[in-house]
Order: sequence, then structure tokens, then C-alpha cells
Amino acid sequence: MQNPRSEKLEFLQKWMEGMGKCTSLKKNMSLLERKKAIKVSADLAMASTRTESKCWSRALIANIASRDHNSKVLTEHVIGSSQCLRLRKAFTSSSFSQLKNKRMLNRTRKIMKRRRRTVRSRVKKVVMADSIARRLVQKRTEMLKRLVPGGDLMDDDVSLIEETLDYIQSLRSQVQAMRCLLATSQLMNCS
Amino acid sequence: MEQTTGGLPGSGLAIREHDKTALESIQFNQEIQGIMAPPPENASSFTALLELPPPQAVELLHSPDCGGTAATSSASAKSLCQINNQKPYLFHSFSGNLTFPANAALIERAAKFSVFAGENSNPEDSSVVGRNSSANLDKVKNEPPESDSNPSPMQGCASDPTVENPNQRAAKRKEREKKVKVSSKKSKGVADEASGEAEKLPYVHVRARRGQATDSHSLAERARREKINARMKLLQELVPGCNKISGTALVLDEIINHVQSLQRQVEFLSMKLATVNPRIDFNLDSILATEGASLMDCNFPSTVAPLMWPEIPVNGNRQQYQQQWHVDAFHQPLWGREGGNHNFITPDNSFLSYDSSANSATLHSNQLKMEL
Repeated sequence: MQNPRSEKLEFLQKWMEGMGKCTSLKKNMSLLERKKAIKVSADLAMASTRTESKCWSRALIANIASRDHNSKVLTEHVIGSSQCLRLRKAFTSSSFSQLKNKRMLNRTRKIMKRRRRTVRSRVKKVVMADSIARRLVQKRTEMLKRLVPGGDLMDDDVSLIEETLDYIQSLRSQVQAMRCLLATSQLMNCS
Repeated sequence: MEQTTGGLPGSGLAIREHDKTALESIQFNQEIQGIMAPPPENASSFTALLELPPPQAVELLHSPDCGGTAATSSASAKSLCQINNQKPYLFHSFSGNLTFPANAALIERAAKFSVFAGENSNPEDSSVVGRNSSANLDKVKNEPPESDSNPSPMQGCASDPTVENPNQRAAKRKEREKKVKVSSKKSKGVADEASGEAEKLPYVHVRARRGQATDSHSLAERARREKINARMKLLQELVPGCNKISGTALVLDEIINHVQSLQRQVEFLSMKLATVNPRIDFNLDSILATEGASLMDCNFPSTVAPLMWPEIPVNGNRQQYQQQWHVDAFHQPLWGREGGNHNFITPDNSFLSYDSSANSATLHSNQLKMEL
């Protein structure tokens, strides 16, 4: 792993860049707009430190870039337009819509199965512990997939867990950096 | 550990020095090594395994009394100097001449069979010896680790161990596998390093546990499950408070909570940052200049906290909040929920924000130390 100090510096630099670009895009933003700009810049900066190795960072960047025009400009500025283009091609909206369709299909299938099962289970109520455990784990894996950006794209649990590990670590460093910045800016304002 | 890779003559000499009856043992040695000579050429194949046991059984049969030597052979398994009897010499010569692990594994098992009527700890020693020797050489998966994790159950079936033939031994081993399921983790750990080295061989004989299928699909499934379990362990270490929880579903619950709380913290912090500054132009240079290099330092949060405390004017309300935060903050499991508590405070109340960030700063230093 890289030196954490240099990673934090890189994160801060990219974050400042993003925020500077935001102010250049629109002066006099409201509170909510400012908050959104800060968050998006921070997310982009965090993801850019991990772009090459992990899937979640690429998915996150692609998500942000596809939101609206301003975000797209911002991502291109922070990440670099060529990389941005590459990522958008990899995570094109068509593939996302395919995923959405697949998800809907899976969900309808599950609902049909459940309906059939409830009809049958009235005949004999057998409680299987291992099937219950499996269903619990499955539900939680799905929740985790929804939380981690790009989680839906990973079919196997091994990569999902690896991505979660990495994502948790970067989220933590992001939170720490934000707290540091907050503390310093509050100090500066006080003095 | 007396792992001598020197040839037979060296060990033969050592034996001669120690006992008068060593001559007989040397004769046995020579006989048996004559039989053992062809097998070492093909250490990995089963044939090596098969050829070894008969000579071992032969020399075991020749031992005068197995009961008497049981106690002594256990002691001798440790060091060459403690040889008091004829039979242990043979074991030593075998272990001394070991150039291939299959023999070591079976020798240790044979030693254990004769020994388990005696002390408890010694089989583990002898099997440790076997493990050390076999760790360096290629071996059949799962065999040595099972031997070292199942010393005690064998005490029950002590009919006449030395006269057992290898088939019975294998059957008993499999029974042991069924009884002791805790060995699985140990065997996996050692089998992993063995499999890493076994790749040099043309093929590896994997002995599946009893009651488990041996086809490639289930083996792949097992490998995949082991991978998943290893990564889940890493996750458990990363997320605070997950070490004591057992069960995948609950651990996943904790992980999900942690991720959600971190995401909420990011949201809240960005909101706070937005309120602090009317325009979001945080100048990195000025920030670095005000704090110096300590901004990047690991201990930055702890240095900020004492600075901030003196500046805050005393306020009755605030002290109340302070106490509340203190109680919550020093509760490690509640750390994840602190982000949720923050949401109840409006960002406009800057006094409170001082408190929360200061408290969280002290916890931060713990987190940083954990992480970096």
C-alpha cells in the first residue's frame, strides 16, 4: 500500500482542485449546493486515489459523471478527460440499464418463488436452519452490494468482500481528512 | 530437533556409541534401507508410501515388547541423547535418514501409535518433528496436520498398535477425522503452505476428508469457501467490534452498519464544512501554513483538540452536551453511531460543533493508530 501520508496529501490536493473548479463554475452557491460540491469533490478525490486497482472507485466516478453536466465537467477536470471517457465507456448507461433489468427480473423471480413456496409450505411446515441462514446471508450481501458503489456488478463474493475492505478504508481516510480540514478552518475562523 | 540429513553411516555410528545391542539395530537398519532405497527416487507417488509401511511394520514387529518401549520411545523422540532402548534407535535412524516426507509422516504416526498409551504431550512433539521435516518437502495433503491435532482420542483404542498394518491405521485416522473436527482449521493452514510447494510436483494426491466428495467441483467449492472465510476475517479485524461476533450474517450486519455510518459521517461533515465557510475556497497553502506540517502528521487531531478547548467560552448548555458526548464517545461500540447522533444537531450551533469535533478528534487518534 502507498504511504498513507502521501495518499492523504494527494486526496487533499485533488479535493481543493475540485472545489476550486466548482466555485469557478458557479459563484455564490447556496448552503446545500456548497455541501453537495464539497461532498462530490471529496468523493472524486477519494476515488481517484484508487482508480486503477479497484472497481468501486471506477463505478463511483462513472456514477458522478453521469449525473448532470456540471458534475461531468467537474469530473473531467479532476480526473482527466481521457480517463473519464474511458470510464464512462466501461460503465455506460446501457450496461446499467441492463443491470437494472436483470435486477428487476431477479426480483420478480424471487417473488414468484416465494408465492409458490408459501402455497406449498401450508401443506408441511418444515423449518430448515441452514436455508434460513443462507437466506439471511444472501439478503445482507444484497444490501452490501447496494451500499458499495459498483457492487451490483460483482457476482462473486470474494471480490465483493475485497471491494468492501478497500471502500471502508478509503471512507475512513476521507472522514479523517474532512475532520482535519474542518478543525483547521474552524480554528482559522476563530483566530 | 535432530533433523540430520547425513547418510546412514553417521547415524549408525551414533547408535553404536550408545548401546551394546545397537548391532542388531544396525542390521535392521541396513536391511530396511536396502528396501527403502528404490522408493526415495519417486518421493511424491503413492508407491513410496506403500513401500515404506511394510518395512516399518517389519521392524515394528521385531521389537521385543511394545508396552515397555512405549514410554521410552516417546522420550527418545525428542533427542538422540536419551536413547535407552533398542527400538527408539530405529526410529531415530529413520528420522535421521529422512529425505522424503512420506516416511516422516508415517514414522511419526507409527511412533505415536506406540506412544499414545503413554504421555500425552510426546506425540505432539514427535508429530512436530514430522511436521518440520515435511514442511520442507512435498507431501500428501492433510496427512501430517491431522497427526498432530489428534493425539488424545487415540488413547482409547490402544489394542496392539505396533502390529497394525497401514490399512487399519488409515481407517483409524479417518475415524479420528470424523471425531475431531477442530483439526480442520489447522490442517487448512498447514495444507496451504504445503500446497504452495506441492505445485512443483507433477500431481498432488489430496486426501479428502471422510464424508466429503472428491470431485473437482467440490474441491473448487472448498477452496472458494476458504478464500471467502479468509477475507471475512480481514473484514472482521477492520470493523471495530466484529471480533467477538460469530456467524456470517451478524458480521455482515456490522459491516453494513459501519459502511452506512461512514457514509453518513461524510455527508454530515460536508454539511458542516459548507457552513463554516461562505465560499468553499479552502486554500491548501494557507491551511498548511497555519498548522505547519502537523496537519499531515498522525497526531494532528490530538494536537488540535487541546488548542480548541481553551478558546471555547464556558457555557451551561454546552457543558451538558459535553458530558453527554463524553459518555457516548468513550463507548467504543457506539463510535459507529456517533455519526447518527450528529445529525440531530443543527450545523448553525457552532458551540456544539466544537464539542463534537473535539471529542471525535480524541477518538480519531485511536482510529488513526489502529489504521496507520
